[in-house]
Amino acid sequence: MKRLRLLDVSLASVSFLVYLALYLPILLVFVLSFFSMRRGRVRWDTFSFEWYARLFSNESLGEALLNSIIVGVTAIIAATVIATLAALHVNARPSSRSARMLEYVIFLPFLLPPIITGLSLLIYFREIGVSRGLATIIVGHAVFVLAIIYRIILTRLNALSRSLVEAAQDLGASRLQTFRFIILPNLRMPLLTAGILAFALSFDETMITLFLSGTDGTLPVRLYAMMRVGFTPEINALITLILGFSIVLTVVFAFAWRRSGGTDNNRITRI
Amino acid sequence: MLAEDCVLWGFAALFILVPLASFLVYGFFFVVDNSVVYRPTLANFVEILSNDSYRTTFFKTLRMALEVSAINLVLGYATAYFIWLRPPAWRNFLVIALAVPLLMSYIIKIYAMRGVLGTNGLLNSVLLALGIVDEPVSALLFNLTAVRITLSVVLLPFMVLPIYISLERIPNSVLNAAADLGAGELQTFARVVLPLSLPGGIVGAMFTFVLASGDFLAPELVGGIEGFTYGRLIFSQFGLAFNWPLGAALSILLMIVALAVIYIARRLGNPRWQR
Repeated sequence: MKRLRLLDVSLASVSFLVYLALYLPILLVFVLSFFSMRRGRVRWDTFSFEWYARLFSNESLGEALLNSIIVGVTAIIAATVIATLAALHVNARPSSRSARMLEYVIFLPFLLPPIITGLSLLIYFREIGVSRGLATIIVGHAVFVLAIIYRIILTRLNALSRSLVEAAQDLGASRLQTFRFIILPNLRMPLLTAGILAFALSFDETMITLFLSGTDGTLPVRLYAMMRVGFTPEINALITLILGFSIVLTVVFAFAWRRSGGTDNNRITRI
Repeated sequence: MLAEDCVLWGFAALFILVPLASFLVYGFFFVVDNSVVYRPTLANFVEILSNDSYRTTFFKTLRMALEVSAINLVLGYATAYFIWLRPPAWRNFLVIALAVPLLMSYIIKIYAMRGVLGTNGLLNSVLLALGIVDEPVSALLFNLTAVRITLSVVLLPFMVLPIYISLERIPNSVLNAAADLGAGELQTFARVVLPLSLPGGIVGAMFTFVLASGDFLAPELVGGIEGFTYGRLIFSQFGLAFNWPLGAALSILLMIVALAVIYIARRLGNPRWQR
């Protein structure tokens, strides 16, 4: 195919700028985790692992990181159970009004601005007398990631042939057996995808969490608090480590996903 | 069956519907001496609508969110289209490269944008080195433009990804048919590719608008005084000002706008010929 050269060049340059804009902040954090800065300039002669060393003696960051992991894991387990139930429910009766309503409700906390999800839970918890802490954050995160897990699982369920389930039932399998031996094996990859995606969302969730955290904050909340009183360079080291870890995880996952031959991923556009 | 319904609706009611309802109700209460008076009144809404500074903040924020969505729609579409034209091996790499910045902490990204936009920042160094400006531009940070740029950068992946997904769903047969029927490249783009991928753009624009209009972190960290947005106004009611009912009332307006945008996006993004 013959293409218009000018169009090609401008497309390429816009894309280049977009990627550049996306990566500049990351690059800056990476560089500043090894070098110090003076009067707005990076001093290239100051390479050291000092910030990484200091990181390990920073207890409040470690605690916040641990909180983030506890919150993420708990919220995702809870949300996955509910989301799977909901997806099975909706998949079994696609034309039911109640099922459609349920779908709308599940999507609300994900689609509304996070500030609204956060403050409605804050008001609610205060009125029923639950004080803020890790438990309230977990609820906030579970509700927030519910939609994305639900969507991924439902997409897979809808792609599954009805005859599989019918065959199992004809052969006398109970509903539980059908789920355990027919449906669940088909959900392994979507569950993993959803879990990782949801964990990433939870790990970074800041606006809902700010409303729901008491004295125990997750990592972003801790960073937010630190940023107002002054930022220490070991943050750059921490972020670089977390980012490195996430990239490795993403790449490993992408390879696993490709090898498993999955192609129907989360169809965000169908929300 | 019934048990299933109970569990699902129970969860939905307990953690989504009742909290939203209590927030809606709260907007009609008021505060006397730092404690909430549970008596319904329209006072909050009257105050919001009659107070000039609330109103200006509201419209300023919506306008800003609209501008960010528009800019990102153009940038995002161009990028998604560029990715789509690459060979398959490139595409995967570029898509993953697009998702990686999402893994970096939102707070840190905004904070790093200070380092990019500041007077001594990266952008100024580049502009100086290229000779585009003679002295550092200080107008890049702590104003509404800084908020626009920052939100635009952090929200870009939410635009590119849905557009790319809808581009990828266009069957090859459709493109071949267009070519067989003698459509040129521009014609194919304008009459086949663009209409088929626009739903992705609408979803992306919806995400961008909703997230940008409610954000209070970016405005607070890079916005300065000029960048005092509606999200910050709401958040401040739950901090120092300690007027939760007013905060709830302010949020109700934001929620109405968000729901309207979501509704419009659903309508536009799911045209009859695609159902």
